Amino acid sequence: MPTYLRSRSFVALALLPAMLIFIVFAIVPIIWSAYYGFFDWSGLGSLKFIGLDNYEMMLQDPIFWRALKNNLILVASAIIGQVPIALLLALLLLKNSMFNRVIRSAVFMPMVLSTVVVGLIWGYIYQPQIGLLNTVLEMLGLDSWIRAWLSDPKVNMYAVSIPINWANIGPYLVIFIAALQNISSEVNDAAKIDGAVGFRKLFYVTLPNIWDTVIVTIILCISGSLKAFDHVIVMTGGGPAQSTELLATYMYNNSFTVYRYGYGSAVSTMIILISALLIGLNYIITKRRG
Amino acid sequence: MLPTTNTRAAAADPRPQPWKKPLGLLLKLALFLYAAFTLYPLYWLIISAFKSNQDFFNRPFGLPAGWQFSNISRAWELGDMGRAMMNSTIVTIASVVLTVVLGTLAAYALSRFAFRASGLVKGLFLLGMLIPIHSTLVPLFIFMNKIGMLDTYWSLILPYTAFELSIAIFLNIAYMQSIPREVEEAAMIDGNGWWGVFGRIIFPLCLPVIATVTILAFLRFWNDFSFALVFINSQALKTLPLSLSLFSDGFGTDYALTMGAMFIAVIPTIVIYLIFQEQIMKGMVAGSVKG
Repeated sequence: MPTYLRSRSFVALALLPAMLIFIVFAIVPIIWSAYYGFFDWSGLGSLKFIGLDNYEMMLQDPIFWRALKNNLILVASAIIGQVPIALLLALLLLKNSMFNRVIRSAVFMPMVLSTVVVGLIWGYIYQPQIGLLNTVLEMLGLDSWIRAWLSDPKVNMYAVSIPINWANIGPYLVIFIAALQNISSEVNDAAKIDGAVGFRKLFYVTLPNIWDTVIVTIILCISGSLKAFDHVIVMTGGGPAQSTELLATYMYNNSFTVYRYGYGSAVSTMIILISALLIGLNYIITKRRG
Repeated sequence: MLPTTNTRAAAADPRPQPWKKPLGLLLKLALFLYAAFTLYPLYWLIISAFKSNQDFFNRPFGLPAGWQFSNISRAWELGDMGRAMMNSTIVTIASVVLTVVLGTLAAYALSRFAFRASGLVKGLFLLGMLIPIHSTLVPLFIFMNKIGMLDTYWSLILPYTAFELSIAIFLNIAYMQSIPREVEEAAMIDGNGWWGVFGRIIFPLCLPVIATVTILAFLRFWNDFSFALVFINSQALKTLPLSLSLFSDGFGTDYALTMGAMFIAVIPTIVIYLIFQEQIMKGMVAGSVKG
């Protein structure tokens, strides 16, 4: 066999299995999801074509908007909480000393725990009668603060957002440390000669130099919130009365608790459209700056 | 920008700063406290796993009055955690092997051979890092239901592999670019075909990046909840996270038992993390920035 044919068959055989699995289990489902989104289907019986009715229903469903709002609460809590904490920690843990490495590892640790374990542990922390949080509040004499953290609709979405942020600070910390260590020593030297120290250095030299990274982390917060699912399913299941529903749990509950597969597919497609929009936005921002 | 003047330059000169040392210590203390706060829920899980139910209620913050190993053995047998551990192990190992072998092979084809569709194929795999995984749950469920794949190990192994292939391929391509082509040419002259070059030269040379891919894939598969939740129904096939999520319903107020079960589930990941921290931190960030 001639060499070029041999290498051609090698390439085909080397790529084929990976492509087959990837296309069947990751790409095709998206196309199907778009397709089923046009039907009314309970999983049994025949599919009934209803055009864009599922999307219309979605936009008229207050629960959909609540889920979207809850996703936005997650994004906001990440931008207000996660990003500044990670940045502050990165500034303090910049040097590669032994102490700093240990602290960094500790901060990253929750990231490798199963989301179910994280959800369950925080479920115990928030438990109204025997939970750690209420016990501590009682010991401190703050009885008026005691509440059912995961069932009171006034606070439960915020309560849910804390463990999600807690578990995800690690990667942001590592991203910021890498960005800060990338600032060339000349920039730092110049700042020193200019007399920029402390906060002045932070705002006039350090932050402008890592601004692109800050933007990237904010985009990560947004796309990360669309991936939030496990913690909420474990802690509240989206309840009570759908008060902690997220887009992903809304999709799950519609499909697998009330068996509206057509509608669930439409929600899936909506999630894909929203993330495609965000990815496009991300692309434009990073291209314009890079 | 700040003006450069002599007085400013002078201000930056090193001079005695007596407040610096205590401030540094204070900062270290604050960082230590923050780290302790981060680890506390995990610490609490571990001490609670060794408490009796009564101890758990009465002294939630204290160390166990007597260290009870019975929670763990009871969870292992009564709670069927042994079975769940075996299911998780089977599914994780099979998916990791598939991901590593197929991913490295595909990366080799994409990094060394210029063919017309290679850009398109790379773009397609890149898409895999951007797809929100949960949006595939419904269509995959319908598809697997049709072909009778639901409630089998394959219903987890194949989707896990599909979604981890992208990161495996891109980490491998990046690494392969650092391997000089002369190495392969020499092996070709020695009479190896492409498969021989791949198996005897490229795969062994890529072992460092394969280690990273393996660790990341292990963590992702071992901890996965959503696919298992939707695709697995029979008790005999439940993985660790899925069994855990149902534990608190099944055993009601037997908190000590649930804690023991969680302890069993987290120990493997903690051990792996303690050994491979640096690789995990870097690899997870590489994956999340692209995704």
